[in-house]
Amino acid sequence: MQHTFVIGETEHEGFLSRRGDGYVLHVGETAIPIALTDAERGAQLLHLGAESSRVLIAPDGDLVHVHIDGMTFTVRYVDPVRRYGSQAGAAAEDVAEAPMPGVVIALHVKEGQSVTAGETLMVIESMKLETAIKAWRDGAVAAVHVGVGQTFQRGAPLLELAPA
Amino acid sequence: MRRIESKIDTASEEFRLNWKHNRGLADALKARHHAARRERPARDLERLSRQNKMFVRDRIELLLDPGTPFLELSTLAANTEYGGEVPGAGIVSGIGIVEGREVIIHADDASVKGGAWYPLSVKKIVRTLDIAIENRLPVVHLCDSAGGFLPLQADLFADRYLAGRIFRNQSILSKLGVQQVAIVLGHCTAGGAYIPALSEYSVIVRGTGAIFLGGPPLVKAATGEDVTVDDLGGADVHTRISGTADYPATSEAQAIAIARELVGQTQRPTKLNVERIAPEPPHYDPDELYGVIPRDIKVQFDVRELIARLVDGSRFHEYQPAYGTTLVCGFAHIWGFKVGILGNNGVLFNDSSLKGAHFMQLCNQSRVPMIFLQNITGYMVGRDYEHRGITKDGAKMIMAVSGSEVPKITVICNGSFGAGNYGMAGRAFDPRFLFMWPQSQISVMGAEQAANVLADIKIRQLSREGKSLSPAEIAAIREPILDEYRRQQSAYYSTSHLWDDGILDPTDTRNALAMTISVALNAPIDRPHYGVFRM
Repeated sequence: MQHTFVIGETEHEGFLSRRGDGYVLHVGETAIPIALTDAERGAQLLHLGAESSRVLIAPDGDLVHVHIDGMTFTVRYVDPVRRYGSQAGAAAEDVAEAPMPGVVIALHVKEGQSVTAGETLMVIESMKLETAIKAWRDGAVAAVHVGVGQTFQRGAPLLELAPA
Repeated sequence: MRRIESKIDTASEEFRLNWKHNRGLADALKARHHAARRERPARDLERLSRQNKMFVRDRIELLLDPGTPFLELSTLAANTEYGGEVPGAGIVSGIGIVEGREVIIHADDASVKGGAWYPLSVKKIVRTLDIAIENRLPVVHLCDSAGGFLPLQADLFADRYLAGRIFRNQSILSKLGVQQVAIVLGHCTAGGAYIPALSEYSVIVRGTGAIFLGGPPLVKAATGEDVTVDDLGGADVHTRISGTADYPATSEAQAIAIARELVGQTQRPTKLNVERIAPEPPHYDPDELYGVIPRDIKVQFDVRELIARLVDGSRFHEYQPAYGTTLVCGFAHIWGFKVGILGNNGVLFNDSSLKGAHFMQLCNQSRVPMIFLQNITGYMVGRDYEHRGITKDGAKMIMAVSGSEVPKITVICNGSFGAGNYGMAGRAFDPRFLFMWPQSQISVMGAEQAANVLADIKIRQLSREGKSLSPAEIAAIREPILDEYRRQQSAYYSTSHLWDDGILDPTDTRNALAMTISVALNAPIDRPHYGVFRM
């Protein structure tokens, strides 16, 4: 699998492989010898095939800022598990199910009420633990299945948001 | 490995209140550490300078390589015992760097009761040497002790893990080829005399250092012989005549210089070959841990928020992310060392227990040290869960954790209740190190639950006799139980009794883990093998 990078707005694929003492850059069907050597004043020389260019490289977490030929580019590495995962586009669930058996100790919303993601909808208690059931997305409360003081089993529906 | 995406809103009121609360607890911990380390009655410090002796902290500073970290262990031992008058149990224990080598230090603190050994002092020295054995750490002993604290002799002398164990552990270390250097800076009386005698090398300071089985008063009483300290067991007696000590020194500083030279000659251990990459700081600031930990121990939070603030780049490869979700398992790096992490995200169910046992086997198979982040109220109770075998699934975790060969390090981050403590590598399961956070609590069940159970028993007893209790009478039963539980489940009580290796400021945890992983790799480990898992 190729590595994926975003430069500016565009996705690029490429891969580095070892060959002899150095590396080869694979882009599409082409394979070009590539090397990076130290140059004066903190700069480096990027050797790509027969050409050499002076570059300044500044890593910043998952980003790398590259200054080359009078222009600056920001290169972002795209994690493949995330990249291919997001394409699956699973629909968000509408129902909050009880993570464990317990009892409702607080209810903060009514049916029909609008909620924003992260807002606490209900607090349940089980095995000495209080767990806040928070809105997992923006939406409207479609149904409240259990009230304060009511007990429930694991997997029981607690609350529902109207389909987005 | 992907970065954990934190869902914590650091601008929220909740975060701010948590931060303030937990930062306050960390500050209180620092103040207590400082008091235990440095604050002494003036007369005790004056006595030391009159005797021409250095304060234990200054000795240790002179011994260590400047600018290197020192991980002190069990600083608050004995803080709830002996009327609070024996800070640190009169012993300093810790891991530091001497001549570029990792060593563990045992130092008697003569500013506390003349360095007398209390029962918890003995426990702390034995633990220090257990750490040396388990992690093949060379030991430097700084000896300056009046001997066992006689009024409590029954609690420190005869049993298996009491004073004799110190000398047994020294002998085992020697047998394993782990070297010890003893510096005799004060008296080594009675049992204490064996510490330099059982060390590979010993240095003794002329004038202040002395080694003898019985001091001059005891000799006088036993045989009537009149003898001075120097003539009985001083530096010249032992380095010229008896051969009990090896090197005479003219000052404490010279003795420490000789000891450094000796440590510098020890063979460097071959570290266990685990994956190591270039370290990277966490993407999320560890300071945010204060805002993540809830103010109320009952409030649930996502352990991934802790992991994100402990591991390199906040990157975490989560194993079985959709199965047994109340136990989060996965791989990460801490200061470049690859580790397997198990962190609680709620009650342990059948599936989370199976996942935990399985993940421990994976870590053993690939020789990855394991980090346990405990926040556990226990295994799920109830008919459904018993029918599904919650007890035998918990037993699988215990079998896996007990049989593990790779080093385990446990941090009790919040609650540690009931059998959850066992399955998650509690003290009894030989983690190489176990630390607690200041707000954490540990007990066989929660205080409320215990008080209710005990009150129920009393009520039923009385109802059989045809009597009933008023609410006030029930409260009178519950309250003392609650108070006692709250006292005994606090991290300070735990650390006072050496149930752990110290309370950590959450923001120091990453560094402490890295140092302890590094020393844990000194010891060779066996191939993975276990007992019988009840299927």
